[in-house]
Amino acid sequence: MQARHPYKASQNFSTGKNSTAILAPSHKNPAVMLRRLIILLLPALGFLVSCQKETQVERANREGIFLTGNSAEPKSLDLQQVTGVPEGKIITSLFEGLVADDPENDDGTPPGAATSWEHNDDLTEWTFHLQPEGRWSDGVPVTADDFVFAYNRLLHPDFAGPYAEMLYFLKNAEEFNKGKITDFSQVGVKAIDDHTLFVKLREPVPFLPSLTRHYTWFPVPKHVILKFGKMQDRFTDWSVLPNMVGNGPFKLKTWRFHDVIEVERNTYYWDAKNVGLNGIRFFPIENPFTETRAFLSGQLHNIYTLPSDLIPAAKKEYPQYLHQEPYVGTVFVRLNTTRKGLDNEKVRNALSLALDRESICKYIMEGYTPTTSFVPKMGAYEPEPVLSFNPEKARALLAEAGYPDGKGFPRFSVLISKPDAKASIEAMQAMWRKHLNILVDIQIKDWGSFVTAQQNLDFDIAVGGWIGDYLDPTTFLNLWTKGNGNNNTGWSDPAYEALLSEAALTADAAKRLEILKRAELMVMKAQPIIPVSWYSRNYLLRPEVKGWHPLLLDNHPWKSIRLEK
Amino acid sequence: MSAVTAEKNNSLWSDARHRLMRNRAALISLIVLTVIIFCCLVLPLLGFLHDPNAQALPDKNLAPSGAHWFGTDNLGRDIFARVVYGGRISIAVGLITTLVSVTIGVCYGAISGYVSGRTDAIMMRIVDILYALPFLIIVILLGKTIEPATAKLTDTVVGWFTSADASVESINATRAWIEPITTLVPLFVAIGALSWLTVSRIVRAQVQGVAKQEFVEAARSLGLGNFRILFRHILPNTLGPIIVYTTLTIPSVMLFEATLSFLGMGVKPPYASWGNLINEGANLMLSNIWLLFFPTLLFSATLFALNFLGDGLRDALDPRSAKD
Repeated sequence: MQARHPYKASQNFSTGKNSTAILAPSHKNPAVMLRRLIILLLPALGFLVSCQKETQVERANREGIFLTGNSAEPKSLDLQQVTGVPEGKIITSLFEGLVADDPENDDGTPPGAATSWEHNDDLTEWTFHLQPEGRWSDGVPVTADDFVFAYNRLLHPDFAGPYAEMLYFLKNAEEFNKGKITDFSQVGVKAIDDHTLFVKLREPVPFLPSLTRHYTWFPVPKHVILKFGKMQDRFTDWSVLPNMVGNGPFKLKTWRFHDVIEVERNTYYWDAKNVGLNGIRFFPIENPFTETRAFLSGQLHNIYTLPSDLIPAAKKEYPQYLHQEPYVGTVFVRLNTTRKGLDNEKVRNALSLALDRESICKYIMEGYTPTTSFVPKMGAYEPEPVLSFNPEKARALLAEAGYPDGKGFPRFSVLISKPDAKASIEAMQAMWRKHLNILVDIQIKDWGSFVTAQQNLDFDIAVGGWIGDYLDPTTFLNLWTKGNGNNNTGWSDPAYEALLSEAALTADAAKRLEILKRAELMVMKAQPIIPVSWYSRNYLLRPEVKGWHPLLLDNHPWKSIRLEK
Repeated sequence: MSAVTAEKNNSLWSDARHRLMRNRAALISLIVLTVIIFCCLVLPLLGFLHDPNAQALPDKNLAPSGAHWFGTDNLGRDIFARVVYGGRISIAVGLITTLVSVTIGVCYGAISGYVSGRTDAIMMRIVDILYALPFLIIVILLGKTIEPATAKLTDTVVGWFTSADASVESINATRAWIEPITTLVPLFVAIGALSWLTVSRIVRAQVQGVAKQEFVEAARSLGLGNFRILFRHILPNTLGPIIVYTTLTIPSVMLFEATLSFLGMGVKPPYASWGNLINEGANLMLSNIWLLFFPTLLFSATLFALNFLGDGLRDALDPRSAKD
């Protein structure tokens, strides 16, 4: 899913709070100055007060409510219209897929909306048996038809679901999504009866149970959606209060825009007795530095991203809160290969070779690993190490491409969307200048226009991050296929897609990974993206939170979390 | 006759200077301001400063020392050099914008207040209309519009300072100190040209009051032209509010530059201005307090000095203020 960390929109408080005062310099007077001074001093004052009073976290501990820094206001809570991590965190509290997340093990597949499942020998046909007691939060039973409806909706060409590719594992799903066939009954999903769901896949997918934990595979309440519009209508009122209905451990309670989203216990949930929290509050604090300050002043139980710049200080002063764990994700730079200059493979490779990833990771992206390829090592898959730091070769390639010594190279802008990404980009900017004599600008945009600019290919260079949705290299490699909603580089290669299809049809696991490795090499040769580092997770968590274990995919099931009083 | 000329035959200016010199806060402020501005303008020319954009990653987040007077930032850049170069930009932007906006505002307001009647009404309705426009949006549109022109300006200015056969590397080095100025100054001249509304209102009200006094009648009966009456006899009597307004505008423009930087319109990274140095320092204060401390110190010192100086100037220049 689209990584919000560390490159994400932020509306820093300096624009938010001061904007009215700053809008027109001609309105300035001493009273405004004084007010600004008071605003600046308020946090300090608040800290003094909080020393004497119970903090928000302490009160929440008493009430059994988890306070989480969710880093952004969700675009929507319609789970089929979003692609981001912050949305995912809320959605997994409100909905549940066929298989639930395991609190301690990324590969664990505890029962979710389905109690059990079986598959045929070549892993292409699966049957899921749903919970007999499974109910939506309005008491209506969850049926297999809700799943079929959900997949039909997400795949419908008119609905234009941005994450429909996740369902392409279903037989004929891609054809239906691209309008090549119009009859949904040909797609490999069927409700055998109210509580039996049959799934036929395009290829053998051994990791299907873990795939169904992703929110694109979740059911949606057919009876509610149809009340507010047709199946393929986008952005209807079904997913806002008071209409929102889910099948997860929690249900939506309040939603105050850019303030807080609160969920409370769903009494109809089949496993309600094992839900440890009475509620969760999601705070959309966009600036990670502000979020960190909120955590340290006792306003949050956790934040998902500690800015790299603050890690050394946190190590020294707050070791009890700091967690550092591996994470399956890559930080990279997208190049718009339709721009003149960047359309040249040699230029793209030169830009990549001029980056000293070791230094970036050592001094700026603390704890991150320098990339040697794109896909992080996962399970048996380990990509060929092909990326290196070689300024001489970079200069030679740039000269070959027609820009000897950087002469005449176009001035490009690097798009970023979050202040904590600035340091690493400034380092890269300096490296390109030092080794290639290339000047680039840095441009900050808010998350919305940042994403839109990339989707419209209206950018030169943009920072990106990708977090694996399941533990298989295809969650990364599928990005660079033509028409993928998250490709946004203008690059595609039929030979690359042929390799991916070949891998999909290869039953032998080892041989399949070999083919995927070859596919990855093709991307690395063309370099429509420049991988920079492999994620590590640095986050802050209060010690009273129990049931939170290190997980590669970071999908901590909300129902297992408990607060120690 | 105004009080000043009636009592002693001193000129407005010598009298004002006399009073300003006796105002200790204003005098100290004047000295502080002069030192800060002098440092920002002259130190970079002496060549002993570190390159403000040169990174030395292993030396990041150093505390102040002999090599780095203000320490280094999160990319190992010298904070002292960045504060000095950033001050250049902030001060240039503050002074230029204020100069433009006060000049336009004073002329417009003075004419409007002096001619009065229908012309005055029309001129003030124009101000009303301009007030209603969303300032930030106009500035953003403006910035986008003049971007190609400033890019060309940058190339031209860089051309003056480099020879035709210079290496790309040396051109880039020259560009690094020219570019932030040539891209920002035109934008802020334009901003100044948009933000004269309040000052024109103030001046108009003052001029209306002064224009009814006897000494203006006297000047008119001597046969002086309107221009001379307005700019020699009326305007000096309105200087107090104008100067106060001016000293308050300069820091607010510097703050506005920080806002614009955040929106991607002001100083672009890696270049520094006080505004974006403080913004960055606030984010990183947990790991490096010096990054917040020094830019804030200088910015606040400038802000306070301007306020005290403005206060002192107002007292000094007010022709009606009590004589002691």
